[in-house]
Amino acid sequence: MVRNDYIPFSSEILEVIKHTDIEYTFRMAFRGDVKPGQFFEVSIPKYGEAPISVSGIGDGFVDLTIRRVGKVTNEVFEHYVGDRLLMRGPYGNGFDLENYKGKELIIIAGGTGVSPVRGVISYFAEHADERKDMTLIAGFKSVKDLLFKDDFPYWREKMNVILTLDSGEETTEHKIGLVTKYIPDLKLQDVSKAVAIVVGPPAMMRFSVKGLLERGFREENIWISHERKMCCGLGKCGHCKVNDTYICLDGPVFNYTKGKTLID
Amino acid sequence: MDTNTAKLKKNAFRVTKERGLTASRVRVPGGHLEAKYLGVLQNIAETYGNGTVHITSRQGFEIPGIPFDKMDEVNAALQSIIEGLEINQEAENEGYPAAGTRNITACIGNRVCPYACYDTTVLAKRIEKAVFPNDLHFKIALTGCPNDCGKVRMHDFGIMGMTEPQLDPNRCVSCGACVKKCEKKSVGALTMQNYRPIRDAQKCIGCGECVINCPNRAWTRSEQKYYRLTLLGRTGKKNPRMGEDFIKWADEESIIKIILNTYDYVKEYINPNAPGGKEHIGYIVDRTGFEEFKRWALKDVNLPEKAEVMSPLYWKGIKY
Amino acid sequence: MGFHVNESQFDAWLTEQQKTYDIYAPKCFAGGNTFSDVDCIRYGKVNSISKIVFDQKSEYSFKEVLTPISQTLFFFTEEQCKEADPPKKGAIIFLRSCDLHALKRLDDMYLHNGPADYYYKRIRDNIKIVLIGCKHSFESCFCVSMGTNISENYDMSINVADGVYELNCKDVTWNQFFLDLGASRHLVVPDQVHENKTVVKIPVNLTADVARSSMWEQYNKRCINCGRCNFVCPTCTCFTMQDLYYTENAKVGERRRVWASCMVDGFTDVAGGGSYRKKNGERMRFKVLHKVLDYKQRNGYHMCVGCGRCDDICPEYISFSHCVNKLGDAMKEVTK
Repeated sequence: MVRNDYIPFSSEILEVIKHTDIEYTFRMAFRGDVKPGQFFEVSIPKYGEAPISVSGIGDGFVDLTIRRVGKVTNEVFEHYVGDRLLMRGPYGNGFDLENYKGKELIIIAGGTGVSPVRGVISYFAEHADERKDMTLIAGFKSVKDLLFKDDFPYWREKMNVILTLDSGEETTEHKIGLVTKYIPDLKLQDVSKAVAIVVGPPAMMRFSVKGLLERGFREENIWISHERKMCCGLGKCGHCKVNDTYICLDGPVFNYTKGKTLID
Repeated sequence: MDTNTAKLKKNAFRVTKERGLTASRVRVPGGHLEAKYLGVLQNIAETYGNGTVHITSRQGFEIPGIPFDKMDEVNAALQSIIEGLEINQEAENEGYPAAGTRNITACIGNRVCPYACYDTTVLAKRIEKAVFPNDLHFKIALTGCPNDCGKVRMHDFGIMGMTEPQLDPNRCVSCGACVKKCEKKSVGALTMQNYRPIRDAQKCIGCGECVINCPNRAWTRSEQKYYRLTLLGRTGKKNPRMGEDFIKWADEESIIKIILNTYDYVKEYINPNAPGGKEHIGYIVDRTGFEEFKRWALKDVNLPEKAEVMSPLYWKGIKY
Repeated sequence: MGFHVNESQFDAWLTEQQKTYDIYAPKCFAGGNTFSDVDCIRYGKVNSISKIVFDQKSEYSFKEVLTPISQTLFFFTEEQCKEADPPKKGAIIFLRSCDLHALKRLDDMYLHNGPADYYYKRIRDNIKIVLIGCKHSFESCFCVSMGTNISENYDMSINVADGVYELNCKDVTWNQFFLDLGASRHLVVPDQVHENKTVVKIPVNLTADVARSSMWEQYNKRCINCGRCNFVCPTCTCFTMQDLYYTENAKVGERRRVWASCMVDGFTDVAGGGSYRKKNGERMRFKVLHKVLDYKQRNGYHMCVGCGRCDDICPEYISFSHCVNKLGDAMKEVTK
């Protein structure tokens, strides 16, 4: 008999990390295979389900960084350590770290777009020997929108980090300006072999990729991750379909050669 | 020239401004007729009249310019229309037996219009059969839905089609089209709860917008047809006014019975000195009080359980 | 085996089958249409062949038997989820050749696009198909263009002749039933159409580039994004999850999936306010290209089965087949 993929499992909230007023990371008990860039359908009975990408993976847990923007996520924020949430997944392809190993790596992430790549950043922070030079360009709207503040000091030790805000005063911690501003000046040994990951709002991704291509990146060396409405995560509900592609099955991470063909 | 004008008028002819010439008034209950009768009208107009036909404000035809001495021939020529439209008649070839109770008008109804909740012509003809001929001045009009294209509120009896929308929740896809359309085009009787529309039966006017806009047949029309009956609207010199709601969710039987009862009421209470024996029912009700009218009107009427009777009624309108 | 049976013989078979199956067929819902005094032909349970409508096309397809419009997946209390029960009986579905081809699309979507769907499969495993022969094509049909006019994979077929039902039965048990009933044996081939009034040509050079054509713009205004085309389509499968609580006991509720339409507002809304394909023309393009391009790229054959229901139902008289026939010129426009 076929498995019933729709019935969620119950998972305990192990820890809640508050980033901003509306963005918390919920550390959820989970054992099983999971990759950065994959997502879970998180639900609360009576409120519904929402796809949430994995922002961290550890022994016996996954981190889900949740932005309080809807019916389900509002309700999630009413839950505390020791409470339980319903989950199913992980779904999607996630990032394949093999694509980036032994290469110069640029990661450009905007806002909550940092969540799905946080696992990639962390991995290559800890395993610096598995890649060449690495640059993270992380953009947020303002100081109060900063996510993963506690990660940045460690990341700065391990890689070149450009933290930039859309507005405000420039400090030693962060610059002011859009992420695209820093692409032309990226120092690269061999742009033809360098790889890049771009995740964030649609416009930010579009202009960042444009910048990378102008900088000489090859299309096949760029990966992006898409956000779409997803009701099932199983290739059935149809909401995330774009062209012949189901974001939940074939993505959300796409090599740009494929990603560029997706017309909503 | 000697002509009994009262007799002439009762026979659905008119005293016109041109001496010796009359006009024949052809009633078309429900306003819908087979096109072949237009040929008959053309023939009468060209043979006896001045070759023109007026489309009346009550959905009839008026053929002017007929000499008084041709009335018998015109009556004979009208016979095929009178029979074809199944008008109650007293004697063959003698034309219409009365003109007081006016032609029963109707909007085009559900033979054509997507909004209409019933076949207005069929009901108009049924009422015509029940009330005609009658000399009393009654104006009855039917319209298919609460859009009231038939302007029935300007009549003594206005009959407005309603449907009681039925929701099959298992066919509802939560698209919200019904709620949006009810809000924008009708009275906002629907709200969404638990992804399904909830209908406020008190607010609902039975227009059927929810049914019309439902893409999946979740909303359908009630098998039973319902009507709103509006009362005693009128035009005229003294106090023109809009008809007021009398019964919501009424049925055909009750409406016909109420109209017939009203004839009895008017016979009892009409001013015996009314000019031409005509008095708008509204003025009679003003005199007797609404309760007395209601007592007569609802005699032996068995309204459906759903029916809501409004009482007392007050009319506004313009007073000169 | 082929049989000619009369009404009472067929009903004897139906009665027998109803012990284990619900029988679904196009039937008349009196007054069930949008407009007053107009009937609706759609699928429902029948218990006699006299209730089956053979001379008209059903406005809505058979798909609601396999993918219920609103399907409860599980019930929840504070602590646990309880799976909803499957239908008590299997289903025998009367459908035409186009719809039987649509069943293959449903199967590929629900069983092979990603993991097999539990709720679909548990119904699918218990259905049998009676193919309704088509003596003639209806106005909007274009099954011949889509290659869906002939079907073989049925359990029984039925042609309606004068007072006689001609059956071609492949089910061994059913064959025996009709033999025991003394039904007369004949050679029967399901009625098929080989020509439609509507002919559709999907350009062989069609690519997603056609999205850039100006042809879609007219639909921005013409289309009212009501979704009827999706709901009547036998191959549209999209759904949305809904959680609801029972008003009498707020702690208890259910999660269900409900048909969704890519034409209706909200289909692409993501939490936080983003959405895609805001214009109706873009939605039309998305739907049309799914039916005649995207699906084939993924599955090797076209999704549209040419039943023409979308043309029949559109209140704005937008014709899908007419739109598809404009794709050739649109490709010329975007490739010049």
